Amino acid sequence: MKLLPAFLALMVLAFSRPALAQAPAEIAAVPKECVGPGANDVQDPYLPNVAAALRDRKKIVILAIGSTSATMRGPIRGGYYAIVERILEKAFKPLDVVIIHRGVSGELAADAASRIKTEIALTKADLVLWQVGTADALAHVPIYEFRNTVTGQIRWLKEHKVDVILVGLRYAASLAKDPYYLGIRNIISDVAEKEKVIRLRRYDAEQALSKLNRDTAEGFDFAQNSEASSICTAEYIARAIAAGLFIKKAPPRPGTPGALPSAPAN
Amino acid sequence: MKREANAIDFWRGFALITIFINHIPGIVFDRFTSKNFSISDSAELFVFLAGWSLRLIVGREDRPRPMPQIVFRLGGRAITLYAAHMMIGMIAIAILASASIVLDNPLLLEWHNAAAVFFDPVNTHIGMALLSHQLGYFDILPLYVVLMVIAPLVAAIDRYLPRLLLPLSIAIYLTALSVPITIPTWPTEGQWFFNPLCWQLVFVLGFVMAKPSGIGGFVRRHIRPIRWLALPMVIGGAIMVIYDIYPDPVDMPEPKLLFIVGKTFVTPIRLIQFLALVAVFSAAYGYIRKLGPRLVEPISMLGRNSLEVFCVGSVLSLLGQVVRFQTGGSYAIDTGLVATGVTILFLTAWLAEWQDRVTKAPAT
Repeated sequence: MKLLPAFLALMVLAFSRPALAQAPAEIAAVPKECVGPGANDVQDPYLPNVAAALRDRKKIVILAIGSTSATMRGPIRGGYYAIVERILEKAFKPLDVVIIHRGVSGELAADAASRIKTEIALTKADLVLWQVGTADALAHVPIYEFRNTVTGQIRWLKEHKVDVILVGLRYAASLAKDPYYLGIRNIISDVAEKEKVIRLRRYDAEQALSKLNRDTAEGFDFAQNSEASSICTAEYIARAIAAGLFIKKAPPRPGTPGALPSAPAN
Repeated sequence: MKREANAIDFWRGFALITIFINHIPGIVFDRFTSKNFSISDSAELFVFLAGWSLRLIVGREDRPRPMPQIVFRLGGRAITLYAAHMMIGMIAIAILASASIVLDNPLLLEWHNAAAVFFDPVNTHIGMALLSHQLGYFDILPLYVVLMVIAPLVAAIDRYLPRLLLPLSIAIYLTALSVPITIPTWPTEGQWFFNPLCWQLVFVLGFVMAKPSGIGGFVRRHIRPIRWLALPMVIGGAIMVIYDIYPDPVDMPEPKLLFIVGKTFVTPIRLIQFLALVAVFSAAYGYIRKLGPRLVEPISMLGRNSLEVFCVGSVLSLLGQVVRFQTGGSYAIDTGLVATGVTILFLTAWLAEWQDRVTKAPAT
């Protein structure tokens, strides 16, 4: 794990955006390796339905779904979602965080989309963590189909008062110049922007680590890279959720559909 | 001596080709398979026909096979299926590992739920042996193993308490849907993609429908009016799929699984539509045989050798995914993949029958 500190620092750069608001002190602190200039925020972090769940039930139900593996090395049942759960529960005692795993590795967004509806009905989740894009990119699903699927699903979730965080593509050096792969990545970014949902950019961070490996002539270890990126992704998911609980609604952007309701006054 | 071409083997062969294509996500021919016009897909057909085939194993009503013989035969079949699943699972892992090296893409190590094999091998190998860890698209054989393990019980209930079998199966199904009950995976957290507590009903229905008496006999006697009743359901199902007008699961009353569409639980809407499809298309085989006799025999040959063909098809599908990933996929690539794959499936079935003939031929 000697690459972890360097990787975490790079994750900071990758996830960085101009700050929207300062989170209250109760929000779980991101480990110092992850903290850097502008790292304490994500775009449009407000999660009204998660906030309502916290206020009304002191319990958040999160549906983790999508095509990318959440597996980590060693017997960590629940993968990196277990880390998310632990961070949130530690930070917001006596909050009960329940993460339900329904990811099917390799599943296309279209198939996941229909399952999300069923799983939302069954689990009554407040938030969906959707790892989306990698399987579609590997399967070369037509770009327009992918866009329609993701957009349609996000809108359905909004209609049903469920928040969503998109966890984007993984990075692989051999795909760095692949126009199709990058096209899918851009679609996710574009859809997240237009639909005003949080997107965590795992690709950028893994890309930076890969560069660091080359620059320092370290042997490339995908398992280490994947592990480090999983840990930091968990940290940032937890942070995004925490921020979404407390930050007041972001001002609506020109041309975006209606404003979200106000956050609870915690 | 090989079986003559028949409807069961033909439709099973048809399902095998469909499964091969459906297991290459993104391939252009996927749009022409039944799942684009039907709520249910080839998985239901495959499991239903497995139940139907069980009827052939238990013997005719007037000349039933002895129960110990049935138990040994089905037990042997379960072990064969288990071994086949282990084998193709290991081949799939090797394909993903090789592809990740050759194509310099470590992401392939995490494809189709394989990440745990490489990152948590100690637990995951135990999980694979226990069937609690399944690779994506390699998850129907574990269901088959479970069905074969319970098949002696199904056969015994049918023989000694025949009126109990279907109600018991439906009761288990409805309980699994209402609670709901799922089968967890391990070491990765999740659930079996094909819930055996629900899919057992498809298997039992195949078994019950194949019986000349009871419900199977009733259906045979009244198949014409049943087909007319089923036809609107098939058409309605096609309209639902084509225009994507499924009921919103959130708006459904509790227990929701009784009213929504889901493959994991083979929910009632899927199941009823599938039975309607079977009723309507049970008339089709005769016409297909008349119009395309040269098509019937080779496709039935696939169905006669379903396990071998399924295993080869599963591996070919994964190879096809790797090829599409590397080449980007196109009409030409996809056509080449399907043509090559289906040819190899036919070759597999032919080789299996050739080997059978050679083995059973008297020594000269």
